[in-house]
Amino acid sequence: MPQPQDPFYAGLGQAVRIGTELLAALIVGGGLGWAIDTYLLGTGPWILVLGLVLGAAAGVRNAYRMAQRWPK
Amino acid sequence: MEESPLHPFELHNYIPINLGGLDISINKAVIMMWVVVGLISILMITAASARRLVPGKLQSLAEMMVDFIRGIILDTMGKNGMKFFPLIATLFLFILFCNLIGLIPGSYTVTSQIVVTAVFACTVYALSLVMGFVLHGGKFLGILVPPGTPGWLLPLMIPIELISQLARPISLAVRLFANMTAGHVILGVLFGLAVSGGLLIGWLPFAFTIAMNGLEVGIAFIQAYIFTVLTCVYLGDAFHLHGHDEHAH
Repeated sequence: MPQPQDPFYAGLGQAVRIGTELLAALIVGGGLGWAIDTYLLGTGPWILVLGLVLGAAAGVRNAYRMAQRWPK
Repeated sequence: MEESPLHPFELHNYIPINLGGLDISINKAVIMMWVVVGLISILMITAASARRLVPGKLQSLAEMMVDFIRGIILDTMGKNGMKFFPLIATLFLFILFCNLIGLIPGSYTVTSQIVVTAVFACTVYALSLVMGFVLHGGKFLGILVPPGTPGWLLPLMIPIELISQLARPISLAVRLFANMTAGHVILGVLFGLAVSGGLLIGWLPFAFTIAMNGLEVGIAFIQAYIFTVLTCVYLGDAFHLHGHDEHAH
């Protein structure tokens, strides 16, 4: 029975977490921007672009916040 | 052998049930969930019925798991997090057993359905929101403003924090779903290669299948652990607003 404290598995878990964290924020940002573009304002792709940029920022922020919690 | 590697994830209704337009048919995933619930109940009830001071094998296994979950909660939420012990223990055991039982050939991994993981993630996130607003009232919206933000940055920080908050349930759901699905797709592809390769070269992908299965057992534990830890972290964030420094190192 592998223990989560095992360095190999712990590292694997943390790597996987950062990847999804970045992806999920990008999905949410892009999705919100696309929805506002399509259903609310009808303003070309601009809010989508803005949403993607903000989503990328949020993803990096989430990953950073996660890394702060790592036991040292 | 021209089978799609995604074929094992398709669900076929065994007993179609339609309740006022709502499809609640019995399929393989539902049966597997019952099996998991039954297994956990039997394990825990038999382990707890002995109640010996010097625990037997089963009892010490159950005690180890309970102690493990208790450790996670105390690490991430502190003492008042123990109120959520039943919820968190249920989540952990259910996800762990689903992941592990799905590795038995011929069974089904319930957690490889994004519906299941999304329901867990949304429940946890909704609970953390409700708890935050009940405990802190309108001040809970302050979670959108990181401490020490200068005023002119607010128009930028609030959308970013909003997105990063909304990303939490999605990352929680997608992580578990993607890891379980990807692992089984790899196993399926390797096994397909082993079967179509014949004896001459097929032993090589078959050996990899066995190695991957071992890794997948590890992944099953890790993913259940990560899901539980993040549940605790999100609930803990609702507890102490901006209270990161309390348990910072």
